[in-house]
Amino acid sequence: MVLSDQAFMRYNRQIMLPEIGEHGQLLLGKAQVLLVGAGGLGSAAALYLAGAGVGNIIIADDDEVDSSNLQRQVIYRDIHQGQRKAQVAAEQLKALNPHIRVRAVQARLADQRLAMEVAIADVVLDCSDNLETRHAVNRACLEANKVLISGAAIRWQGQLMAFDFRHGHGPCYHCLFPWQPESPQEPQNCSNAGIAGPVVGMMGMLEALEAIKLITGAGEVAFGALQQFDGLTLGWHRFNLAQDTQCPVCGTGE
Amino acid sequence: MTVTTSVIQVQVNGKPVECPEGQNLTALLTTLDTPLQATAVALNDDIVARSDWNGTLLNTGDRIALFQAIAGG
Repeated sequence: MVLSDQAFMRYNRQIMLPEIGEHGQLLLGKAQVLLVGAGGLGSAAALYLAGAGVGNIIIADDDEVDSSNLQRQVIYRDIHQGQRKAQVAAEQLKALNPHIRVRAVQARLADQRLAMEVAIADVVLDCSDNLETRHAVNRACLEANKVLISGAAIRWQGQLMAFDFRHGHGPCYHCLFPWQPESPQEPQNCSNAGIAGPVVGMMGMLEALEAIKLITGAGEVAFGALQQFDGLTLGWHRFNLAQDTQCPVCGTGE
Repeated sequence: MTVTTSVIQVQVNGKPVECPEGQNLTALLTTLDTPLQATAVALNDDIVARSDWNGTLLNTGDRIALFQAIAGG
């Protein structure tokens, strides 16, 4: 298979990169990426993936566009208030790049539906806004042997992690942040603690970057690390992850 | 005979903290009076799995970082 002249022109600036080239562009065109969440992370990640020519994008969210989203969820416009996020996001992505396929899932992915969507994806981007979904996505990716790229942001802080479950083992998100569903403590999120728009956007863009690298084989995806970003100082801190042998999700724990 | 326990200094999120020599990570975290649910702990930039907290003994100059899971997106 070769690229059409039209595709060659459209994606020329990244085809020029020797790490991508025509071969990488073809791989992007064949790839299927699942975005769980179409908020601040998903907005940024999805726009860059669509621009890059990722051939199949599935974007899932159960929410509707609110005026308080527009400060950071850059895929939406003022007129979209009150409309369904997944649907609007899919339309915006198609408007940016009509040569790709985009499917909207107007739901909070969980259980069977989550498992099914993960099973047919090549890579999963966690762009969600709650810990329950984060743990469910982690488990589903581990069970389906899929790569999970996870971003998160609050206030001026961002976190980026990537988990390689292709060989069926951890470390996983649960090793890092153990959590019991009965816990009353939901950590802080954008609505109760605030968020600087560019910080969440940057985390979403980095999720897209890692996905593009994974699909094309460019460079190295930062597996096995949690990278923490401080928007007030522009400082990064990298922490190394190891599997918790007692982890109830990916280890032998109960 | 008196047994003297020497005190060592470690850093917790960049701030100096004193603790007895040979103290494990669990004991130190207990003294900090901080919520540990959905919290990760790193020792000298390596995340320490929860099941290894008891067996991780602190040495002088260790850098401990505590950070909470961020859910926002």
